[in-house]
Amino acid sequence: MKPADAFASRALALGLAVLVGVSSLAAHKGGAPRQEQPPYLRDAFPSTYRPLPRSDTLITHATILDGAGHRIDDGDILLKDGKIEAIGRDLALPAGAVRIDAHGRWVTPGLIDIHSHDGTYVEPLTTEDANSNDISELSDPNAAGTWIETAVNPQDPGFTRALAGGVTALQVLPGSDPIFGGRSVVLKPIPAPTVQQMKFPDAPQGLKMACGENPKSEDAEKGRGPTSRQGEIAFIRKAFAEARRYRGDWDSYLAGKDDKAPKDDPNLDTLAAVLEGRIAVHIHCYRADEMAIMLDLSHELGFRIAAFHHAVEGYKIAPLLVANGVCAVVWSDWWGFKMEALDGLRENAAFIDAAGGCVMMHSDSPQVGQFLSIEAGKAAAAGRRAGLTLAPEHVISWLTSNPAKALGLDGRIGSLEAGKDADLVVWSADPFSVYAHADLVFIDGAVAYDRSDPSREPTSDFELGRAPSTHE
Amino acid sequence: MTRAALLLAFLLAASPAAGQVVAIVHAKAYPITPRGVVEDATLVFAGGRIVSLTAHGATPPGAEIIDAAGRIVTPGLMNGATQLGLGEVSGASDTQDQGVATGPLGAAFDVHYALNPNSTLLPVARADGLTRAMSYPAGAATAPFSGAGALIRLSPGPDILERPRAAVFAEVGDNTLAKAGGSRAAQWVLLRNALLEAKHYAGAPKGEGPRDQLLSRPDVEALGPVISSATPLAITAERESDIREAIALAQDLHIRVVILGGSEAWTLGPALAAAHIPVVLDPEANLPQTFDKLGARLDNAALLARNGVAIAFSVSGNGIYLSYNAGLALREGAGLAVANGLSYPDALAAITKGPAEIWGVGDHYGRLAPGFDADVVIWDGDPLEPASAPVAVFVRGVRASLTTRQTRLRDRYAPAHAGDGLPPAYR
Repeated sequence: MKPADAFASRALALGLAVLVGVSSLAAHKGGAPRQEQPPYLRDAFPSTYRPLPRSDTLITHATILDGAGHRIDDGDILLKDGKIEAIGRDLALPAGAVRIDAHGRWVTPGLIDIHSHDGTYVEPLTTEDANSNDISELSDPNAAGTWIETAVNPQDPGFTRALAGGVTALQVLPGSDPIFGGRSVVLKPIPAPTVQQMKFPDAPQGLKMACGENPKSEDAEKGRGPTSRQGEIAFIRKAFAEARRYRGDWDSYLAGKDDKAPKDDPNLDTLAAVLEGRIAVHIHCYRADEMAIMLDLSHELGFRIAAFHHAVEGYKIAPLLVANGVCAVVWSDWWGFKMEALDGLRENAAFIDAAGGCVMMHSDSPQVGQFLSIEAGKAAAAGRRAGLTLAPEHVISWLTSNPAKALGLDGRIGSLEAGKDADLVVWSADPFSVYAHADLVFIDGAVAYDRSDPSREPTSDFELGRAPSTHE
Repeated sequence: MTRAALLLAFLLAASPAAGQVVAIVHAKAYPITPRGVVEDATLVFAGGRIVSLTAHGATPPGAEIIDAAGRIVTPGLMNGATQLGLGEVSGASDTQDQGVATGPLGAAFDVHYALNPNSTLLPVARADGLTRAMSYPAGAATAPFSGAGALIRLSPGPDILERPRAAVFAEVGDNTLAKAGGSRAAQWVLLRNALLEAKHYAGAPKGEGPRDQLLSRPDVEALGPVISSATPLAITAERESDIREAIALAQDLHIRVVILGGSEAWTLGPALAAAHIPVVLDPEANLPQTFDKLGARLDNAALLARNGVAIAFSVSGNGIYLSYNAGLALREGAGLAVANGLSYPDALAAITKGPAEIWGVGDHYGRLAPGFDADVVIWDGDPLEPASAPVAVFVRGVRASLTTRQTRLRDRYAPAHAGDGLPPAYR
């Protein structure tokens, strides 16, 4: 059975459960509203994440970039019960708390990688993955009903490498070959045997969509979907029209107006949840004109775009992005490798930022996922060279508070403020320097990574016992 | 007349086109020589060559004076392996000349015929401080060869070819198994056989009839310089066992071998050093992307250097950085190598003198020393920080513009233009 079929069976099973529910709710016949949730709002794979063992911790004498725009020199930060208790200067060491002297070191919120393929674009990628990898489901240009978490391999070494690079939360997205790639998942890069154990509790899902060259070339190659940009747009319009009817059918059924529950459909479930406003859209788009078309389309069809991903030409329409409240997820310097990437600029992030936009770096690859801080450093330097003022305490938002906002998690992570999750990094130096290392990575107040302590440097099962050693 | 003054007079007479005498003063110079750092340096060049590098030195009369104001000055950088000049848009195969998948050519595939001095990628790399590169073939039709690489210089204008056929490239390992029928064992047999045939061909009288050989005449002739050790054979090899095979090949056939990639080379430092086999490695490679790279680690460079292995850098970045940002990525990679244990001087050498010596141009490029090509960069910060950038780049004494297609786009779309009445296309 192919993964897609397996998923369909699973979804069908859910649908069946709904039907059973209907018969037991026979009393509702006659128009009383039903209390059940429509299938498109359910979390089929709830988080079982538990924080690592932790102690209350006071970090002292650090240069702190809090993610909310402030820099505190010689600053202290107190972590208590997995939350940030206090941030400031000369904080007292509570009884039983551990003190870490961070003199000469820097502290930032944990980095958030909003665009990762860890767990599906796995290390290593072998010939087994050549025609049937888990990056995205390719049997149909509409794979909206797939949930990437059902494919994520927690043993991908990419997770531990991201953690060592200071990442404390990442959104795993499906790839960009389908037009509707499927649902994303937000994870904590603490390796565990199951994806549920890594799953960020109660984080909203996203829907991955894609513009431009990738879907149309994939479809042309496979002979099974839109082969042009205009075809992609028409395809999106048609799919959302169906989803609107589907959602209406569920509304009728749940209001007690219809006796028969609609036939559950995974693709329409996801799109209905998008129309419901429960899932925001993350769209892979490169060209400015495509992003502008997508913005209009989102207003017409009623879906909310959280962010354009890659957004190589975001700088060309920065005010439009700002006016629409849509974030831009960018690289520092990838450009040129395909026609729609020819106009990539290193100043992209800085120019969008200068317009007042919500911009952030992303990895897209496990390689870059280890070095997001350097990515931001490069992008900020290009902006400064173009005459913009970009202080480190502002630039850190490109890795922390801005992605938190785009993920709908800004109330919990992304900045170092009392009451927020104690996700933070102690850096050996200015985090934007190529020479900096993440010395300590805290997730929910627990040390998830310690560069000086091998017992706190997780290794995936895959890597265990494989690397060669010197034989000389 | 001092030696420097003599050299200056000679250079000006020899090459008036490269004309102007330039003196960079108040520089913090890294000459990549045993002198180490030269503070408050005066660097004089003329006629495309370096005349002198002196601390607190005087400037020759009539020289154009450039005040570096304490900034770092280094040789122009060299990337040990790129595909610069061989492609424009990697997604559009009609703009790509890096390799061939079909046809008769193996070792005889020679990329220098395809070099495009007008590629928009070259000024971008140059504006990041790159003045030299090996442009190597991505692959040829006959396993396990990729073809001949060309050394280029990133001079403004059409004159970018430094040396064609500077090395012959071959690739072994998991990336190219299929071409050899599905096994690296076949790759090694084919490689050894090809070299033996080339040796036999070189020694046989010409004009004989058809020979009992697998290789075509162009392929076997392309290997002649490898057999005579005039040029090295660069073997892309990542796994330890393949690197061992490469060492054995070099010793059995008495040829010069360079390892390209070398993810697991750190396991064989003393053996590589003893065999005088250099490694052109990716200092950012630390992921087990394939089973050949299970041992990839960021201190590969540091461990090799500690064992006395000659190293140079090339940064792949999923293949993107081989062509795009080949200058910026190189510096970032060198910085990461320093962050992971390589000494700063060794890292600078691995992007200047190191690749120059590995690829055979170390006698005239790669150092700020009298007589050497005046490839010179003045930096606005630490060149190994990717956030830094050049403020001036000279290639063989000629100051290159730092304008690129991207800087023009940048200027067109700068936030300062936000209120302009006319669309960007009018700027």
